[in-house]
Amino acid sequence: MSGHVKNMCPQLTISQAARTLLSLLLVAAIDSVSAGVVCRKQPCGSSLQRSLKLTKLIHKESVDLLKTYKLSQGDMSELFCQMSINNVPDPNISGLDPSERMLSIYSHCKAFLPHLKRVTEQQTDLQPPSCSLLSKLSTAHNRTNGLANQINCIYQTLFPNLPIPPEPVDGPTSVPPSQNVFQQKVYGCVVLKRFKAFLSRVTRELRTLKSQVCTRRITFADTNALF
Amino acid sequence: FPSRLSLSLCLLGINKMAGIFPQDPALPIGSTLTATCSVSPDLGLHASSLFWSLNGRRLPSSSYSVLSPTALSVTLPGLPASRQRSGDNLVCHNHGGHVLAGSCLYIGMPPVKPVNLTCWSRNTKDLTCRWAPGGQGETFIKTKYTLKYKLRWYGRERECEEYNAAQPYSCYIPRDLALFTPYEIWVEATNQLGSATSDVITLDILDVVTTDPPSGVSVSRVGDLEDHLSVRWESPPALKDFLFQAKYQIRYRLEDNSDWKVMEDVGNQTSCRLAGLRPGTVYFVQVRCNPVGIFGSRRAGIWSEWSHPTAASTPHSERVLSGSCDSKSGDYNSTLRRELKQFFGWVRNHAYGCGGMSIKLYDQWRVWMQKSHKTRNQVLQGDKS
Repeated sequence: MSGHVKNMCPQLTISQAARTLLSLLLVAAIDSVSAGVVCRKQPCGSSLQRSLKLTKLIHKESVDLLKTYKLSQGDMSELFCQMSINNVPDPNISGLDPSERMLSIYSHCKAFLPHLKRVTEQQTDLQPPSCSLLSKLSTAHNRTNGLANQINCIYQTLFPNLPIPPEPVDGPTSVPPSQNVFQQKVYGCVVLKRFKAFLSRVTRELRTLKSQVCTRRITFADTNALF
Repeated sequence: FPSRLSLSLCLLGINKMAGIFPQDPALPIGSTLTATCSVSPDLGLHASSLFWSLNGRRLPSSSYSVLSPTALSVTLPGLPASRQRSGDNLVCHNHGGHVLAGSCLYIGMPPVKPVNLTCWSRNTKDLTCRWAPGGQGETFIKTKYTLKYKLRWYGRERECEEYNAAQPYSCYIPRDLALFTPYEIWVEATNQLGSATSDVITLDILDVVTTDPPSGVSVSRVGDLEDHLSVRWESPPALKDFLFQAKYQIRYRLEDNSDWKVMEDVGNQTSCRLAGLRPGTVYFVQVRCNPVGIFGSRRAGIWSEWSHPTAASTPHSERVLSGSCDSKSGDYNSTLRRELKQFFGWVRNHAYGCGGMSIKLYDQWRVWMQKSHKTRNQVLQGDKS
């Protein structure tokens, strides 16, 4: 029996659990309302700044998430992660002007959610219950949902005349149908690798947007105040 | 650079171009497995150009066998237990190392009969059960434990639903438990290689009741008595109205000593006086309760946890350590002395031939008693060392 358990799933320690809980509470406290409900109007700069902070947090956690995932799948994981799978969202943000790019961030966030959920379900069957991977996946899902809601609100505030971003057309059909275990391992790795790359791009994008869009807004508001 | 092969994989999905049989099998430790990798002719690959790896290690070609131009098998004798719960990765590669297909192997053991199933109820409201996995406690593949229970003479089989991730071999039934009627309880362990069932235990909820520790534990001095402390407590609130014959135990220790002295038979009362203590010393005291006699049951229940330690100190003087729940000895001594004094006074005035009797003589006698106690105890301690 000795020497068998080499690549054990990282276990959740009490301090990690407490930290996760604290972070979740913190995010819940600053998280905005969900799409479809009126968003509170906030100064442009501070809203985007909050979203930027949240994105950085999720990105930082996604690095650890991917590492934990690989450890839990056993050796050979790196090769799996390099394979190509259909339907997993690509990490690139598209669009020419700020409204299009913000919409792209929003729809990508929403698009990743069902995949994160599917990976969580699959890994729940594959890993022991105390595996820290499961809570990290859950946290990533919740935070990304929160980020999507924040971006939605900012979009509505900045571009009130443009249509509200629709829910993604690809619903449950975007996640692959039942897969064998090996395919699940590959799929999970591809999702998390792209997720990590996406968040890195969102960080850059939000910085750019903040300087582009909020500066313009301030000028416009000042002008308005004269009348 | 992406080869034509990678592009094909990209477009069509890995499962359509190559596959492994068996896919994700579960096998007992020590089994021999022969797996086959079949590739689509569209890939333009010959089976002899493929290779296998297991958990990242390339397998020797001596274990391969070319079954056909598009099928290569590998034989793995004496498989050891799986390295991770998600399965060992058996992968079929092309000559360049690209992954064509994979299969996750679950190598382990069927479950052994779970053992040591015990259950207890907190205040008759719920039931918590705990067991241990049989054998060496590890099957290497995912094993599910299900706690089942039913009323002995009627009723359907039910499953416990609240399992605790932090305590893997336990389950909690929060409500709807019948009293005064026995339950049959058992655990079933199942994995892909088989299943096993524990022995059935039969119990009445009222026979396995435990409760909270007594509340309001207070320890105080008894006047100036240097070798006494008085302990008081309240019966546990949840069962206060039902504990007709509860039993209590007290334990106490010196502040700088880890050895507890237990007073086992405190009975049903909610106070006790500790006597024979060391003067000028801090003691820690704890109390626990056994809900005997609940709802008229004659059987003992399960001892509660000890209450939080409460501390108090005895007044300063010299005494020897012994221990008993002495109800009124202190009062008795000072009352006795007073009476004796009065008696001797009367004797001097009314009785002839007992003139030498005085309270001084009584005091001297007590000093003599203390000294001989000390000597006796020193001898005992000398025997112990």
